[in-house]
Amino acid sequence: MPLSNPLALIAEITHRCPLHCVYCSNPLEMTARNEELPTADWLRVFREAAGLGVLHLHLTGGEPLARPDLAEMIAAARAAKLYTNLITSGIGLSRERLQQLVDSGLDHIQLSFQDSEEGSANWIAGARVHAHKLELAELIRGHRIAFTVNLVVHRQNIDHLEKMIAALEALHPDRMEIAHAQYYGWALKNRSALLPTKAQLDRALTIVAAAEERMRGRVRIDMVIPDYHARFPKACMGGWGRQLMLIDPAGHALPCHAAGVIPGMHFDNVREHALGWIWTDSAAFQKFRGEGWMPEPCRSCDRRTEDFGGCRCQAFLLTGAAAATDPVCELSPLHRIIEDAVREDTTQENAVSDFREAPFHVLQEKMGSLWSYRTDPK
Amino acid sequence: MAELTDASIPNLAAGCRWGGTIEAPVVLFPEGAIKVEGTGRAILELCAGQLSLAQIVQKLEQQFILAPPGKIRADVISFIENLHAKRILDY
Repeated sequence: MPLSNPLALIAEITHRCPLHCVYCSNPLEMTARNEELPTADWLRVFREAAGLGVLHLHLTGGEPLARPDLAEMIAAARAAKLYTNLITSGIGLSRERLQQLVDSGLDHIQLSFQDSEEGSANWIAGARVHAHKLELAELIRGHRIAFTVNLVVHRQNIDHLEKMIAALEALHPDRMEIAHAQYYGWALKNRSALLPTKAQLDRALTIVAAAEERMRGRVRIDMVIPDYHARFPKACMGGWGRQLMLIDPAGHALPCHAAGVIPGMHFDNVREHALGWIWTDSAAFQKFRGEGWMPEPCRSCDRRTEDFGGCRCQAFLLTGAAAATDPVCELSPLHRIIEDAVREDTTQENAVSDFREAPFHVLQEKMGSLWSYRTDPK
Repeated sequence: MAELTDASIPNLAAGCRWGGTIEAPVVLFPEGAIKVEGTGRAILELCAGQLSLAQIVQKLEQQFILAPPGKIRADVISFIENLHAKRILDY
């Protein structure tokens, strides 16, 4: 099969973030500020990406607003004809800066929410940020750009999903992303506090289906389900090196957010190589591309062209072997790892916290037995 | 869902725009893109916030004179409603 071009570029322009979300998808080992890729390199990477056929640029982090050159990046991406999406907590976004980003050509903004209840939202984010997000939603709606609200769902908030959806609907988004936490990075570390039960998930699915019906034509809902409760694995990133490239804050090109955890991998850096070479020829992008690496039962499975054997990072994190079948798959010989995790993690009591309004250092200390808050790079 | 009438004026929704190349145009929207070819392209190019549904149908009927009566109108309505549900077209 001929190699197709990448369709989307995920640019993690910094790992710095004022929030401490307990399910953050950033790696536990983060890039420090002084190792971040300079502006000129990012601008070149965006032009190269457009030249390869990339359509969408997702600017993310960390908190991308922590980079003062964000507007310059958006303008360059837009000039290269990329569709630019800003994935943000909104912290660092004033009325004036929003205007500047829109004027630079921003197409889409995706604002994250942790909960609909202020105390709970701040408790999950480890920062008092909820009220600002609500103000910001109104400002965003004043511009003619696409507006997505993103809500990460897990065991600590899933029981009031209906309320959360109604609160987000009142912000008049075009799109709502209801994303169950995915167990990598900080979320894996905190899985026992976050993984919902099967009954909670089933109830959530019914609620989302009803909301979709009610809001049809007004708000598009996209849902990411927790794969621990699925029969088959997700087609992670649409297959390794098939559709997406991610550039980390230091300039390393990865096939996905979590690939850095796989031992023995070398990720080439955009400071030294052209993006096109990295996509077609670098060892990392070829490592799990296609079907040659697949073990049984994937190798002879009809689903291999749909889910590509699932997620390589999850396979490594849970089985110790990156080339194993994703253990989420019920056909995996190691599927019991998932069954055990679901049984053990979901029997833990939910947290009742008296410290929801506390400052971060108190939360960090008092919540230590429940979860670890994401901390910033040194 | 708001009702589509003859007076409705379809337009690309906020954050949706044309992209790709002249030979292979696409409509870009949050998290996706659709290739636009043939009649779909002919319809979508008219959904630019200028013409009403009735005017769009009339224009296409002049362009595709061999289409059976009523077919173009039915096709245009189903096309617009489908993209409206995906939040790509407003009216």
